[in-house]
Amino acid sequence: MRAKTPVDLGAILSQVTAAARDSTVDLTRLRIVCDWVQYRQNFRNVVDVRHIIPFALQAKDGVDVYEMAVDMRRASTAEDLEAQVTQALNEAAAGEAANGHQYLEDWRPNSQSVIWDFNGLYWGSLGHWEEATGQEYEQALPGGESDARNSAAAREIIEGLFDVWDKLAERKALPEDLHVLELGVGNGNQAKVWLDEFVKIERERHTDYYRRLHYLMADYSAHVLERARENVKEHAARCSSLVMDARVPTQTLGFLRSKAFLIYISNVYDNLPTDEIVRIGGQTYLVEVRAYIPPKEAQELADMLKATPAEIPGLTHRLLQLGPELLANALSDRFPGGVGDAVAFWQKVWDSVRLEERYVAIEGLDTYMIADGVRGEVLRPILTAIGDVRMHISNGAAASFMDSLPLLHPFGQLLCQDIFVTDASAYERSFRGPGKYDGSVVNWVNGSLLAAIGRRNGYEVEYETFQHRGGSNIITLKARVQE
Amino acid sequence: MAERRPSTRAKASTAPTTTKPRPQLVAPLATSVVGSYSVPEWLERLKTDYYQRRISGAYLREIHEVAIKAAIKDQESAGVDIVSDGELRRDNDVDYLLARMPGVEIVQLAKAFYSDYYDAVVAHPIPDPEDGEGTPLGLLDDYQFTSQFTDHPVKFSFTGPFSLSRRVKNQAYAKDEDLVMAFARVLAKEAKALSEAGVRIIQIDEPFLAGYPEQVPLAVKAFNAVFDGIDHEKTVCAVHVCYGNRNARPLWEGHYDFLFPRILDANIDQLVLEFARKGYDDLELIKKHVAKNGLSLGLGVINVKSHDVETPEEIAARIRRALRVLPPERIMVNPDCGLRNLPSDIALAKLRALGEGTEIVRREVLGK
Repeated sequence: MRAKTPVDLGAILSQVTAAARDSTVDLTRLRIVCDWVQYRQNFRNVVDVRHIIPFALQAKDGVDVYEMAVDMRRASTAEDLEAQVTQALNEAAAGEAANGHQYLEDWRPNSQSVIWDFNGLYWGSLGHWEEATGQEYEQALPGGESDARNSAAAREIIEGLFDVWDKLAERKALPEDLHVLELGVGNGNQAKVWLDEFVKIERERHTDYYRRLHYLMADYSAHVLERARENVKEHAARCSSLVMDARVPTQTLGFLRSKAFLIYISNVYDNLPTDEIVRIGGQTYLVEVRAYIPPKEAQELADMLKATPAEIPGLTHRLLQLGPELLANALSDRFPGGVGDAVAFWQKVWDSVRLEERYVAIEGLDTYMIADGVRGEVLRPILTAIGDVRMHISNGAAASFMDSLPLLHPFGQLLCQDIFVTDASAYERSFRGPGKYDGSVVNWVNGSLLAAIGRRNGYEVEYETFQHRGGSNIITLKARVQE
Repeated sequence: MAERRPSTRAKASTAPTTTKPRPQLVAPLATSVVGSYSVPEWLERLKTDYYQRRISGAYLREIHEVAIKAAIKDQESAGVDIVSDGELRRDNDVDYLLARMPGVEIVQLAKAFYSDYYDAVVAHPIPDPEDGEGTPLGLLDDYQFTSQFTDHPVKFSFTGPFSLSRRVKNQAYAKDEDLVMAFARVLAKEAKALSEAGVRIIQIDEPFLAGYPEQVPLAVKAFNAVFDGIDHEKTVCAVHVCYGNRNARPLWEGHYDFLFPRILDANIDQLVLEFARKGYDDLELIKKHVAKNGLSLGLGVINVKSHDVETPEEIAARIRRALRVLPPERIMVNPDCGLRNLPSDIALAKLRALGEGTEIVRREVLGK
């Protein structure tokens, strides 16, 4: 197993199977999977048990089928692994009445879970979070900065763009306004590097493109957008900024249809809602989740707010609706220290949230909608090519990608830097999320699916490893109109 | 029905008159389609199954025939006067022809998705079609199937020689022009057979021409070769030029000024152009170049790249605007391009709006 100190898989599995043997669960109906959950902050217990619910016509004998997932990273150091297995199996058999979980929601696909409300709260109230942690969100990224800030990478892109514009100008087909869109602009560092480099290249090539340039910065967070505007103030005449949901760009940018020569997206897709599906023995299941606070953490939160554990879900939803500032104002008796107390509650709840999971059979891929205009049918070639697998559907990324493509000029290009799984079979070999990254949710992005969606819509989609920083997980997706 | 005066907006009576008479083979303000009809996702899956050899060609043929009958019914019920087979047999606008074209080599015939383009090569000169019997592309069979199931006149479209040549690796001819003209000779034999069999409108589609404005003279030369020997008293010879519609996406942006005046050298009866998506400013070009010529206009009134369904009133307003430039007998009403990328329900709703909107203007202008 991947670890600095080798992990004895056999020793762990013998403990797991011993505990399973002593439980009341029918072992012929139990499958065991081993994961390596690399995210230190995540939504999993060391041992989780998932109910597998068959398609109605397949539910013949009414005997429950389960999957037990073991996080080998933590299991290797767990002193009470057998007890945890026993507890997880017993709780699964007994149902929710026995487990003491404080549920934040009912069963639903992952993309609709409350964890995405936490994600939205993080970006909407980022200033309060950063104040509490004392660091800017970009410092939480691997390497402490986004790869988008790399000036060599920016130069390569801009020179390609100038080449296209030169050719169009020769044919008198270059529009007067040259639009570039950055989705998920963050704090504006990428935009500044890009625009500075643009000016340098303009001088080198003696062109007149800067005057015609419209650089549109879009982000979900007004807070980071304000920071971005400050960062690019030298280029203010060329820049516009707007708050936008990355999943539906055409709602805000309809005027840009077929006009964007470059759409640049960095570290956005891994932070958008996603479902997961599981293929077991040729049957496809949708992973449904139910967020909860475990009993111990619920009690600690209750003590923190002078409340009962049963009140924690309600208070959590108030937090998600109001944000920390308004929550502190509305419930000043619970948060006598003001917004700081509310942020502390937020951070503690976020740290405590876990996800129960179950698998619900999908009748047919065509009945499952990935995003607007994208049916599950597009998954068929991917699923047929591999065996049993659990993979992300990256619904938010798929929606954003699908809705961004119409904005591209016929000679435009979409570039996206993110953590992509470009070969779907890699899902068989490694855990790809969800994890917690600071106050946000992170998942790897199903690159095979985005490539299939792009190709289905007439775009060449290529992936390449980010060339300008060694050891980076970042991969660049390039999409352009098929010749 | 009582005769009505033309609306003041339409001003049909003041539109320029024709100086070069053309035969009136279609009624004033007749409605038609550009060619393709909606391909539902289930049909895409079956087509892909065929290209991955999961179902036989015989199965696919039957599936296509059922789908074509339904497409004809949809068009008729929506008020389309001149119908097509929806091009539902075709994998895409190019390969359906290239795969049948003598002399074109395609090594890899399997596809990951049915509408993917083949890698086609012309390694040796295309055989002269006059040396062989029959029509090599089999388009006549397609028309004859369609005509069995409708009493309406039929339009038959195929991609033109210029656009076909853009999807082929030419290793046989020193000049690309020679490849274009070789394709034109094959298509001419098909066109002649279609005309003799009774096709009312034969339309050459040139989806790639807008990206190569300097090639309009060559394209015109090829049009004339394809339509050489066609009896214009019997068949309307049309050319459709748009900005691309592969996967509902434009391949080019611009205006139709690149077509003029060269296109007027083509021996054609009708130009079928895209307007609804881009707006009607290019009607000025029609006024300047076409009004005094005998050409009729296939007026695009349906944006095929949008799922928003036009209202009949919107359609009527678009037709009225064109009537300021051309008289009703020189306007045919159609979508901007093929409907293949639209979901079935939206395609049908758009055609119904087209039919109803045209009917509104017919009552105003023609009194019927």
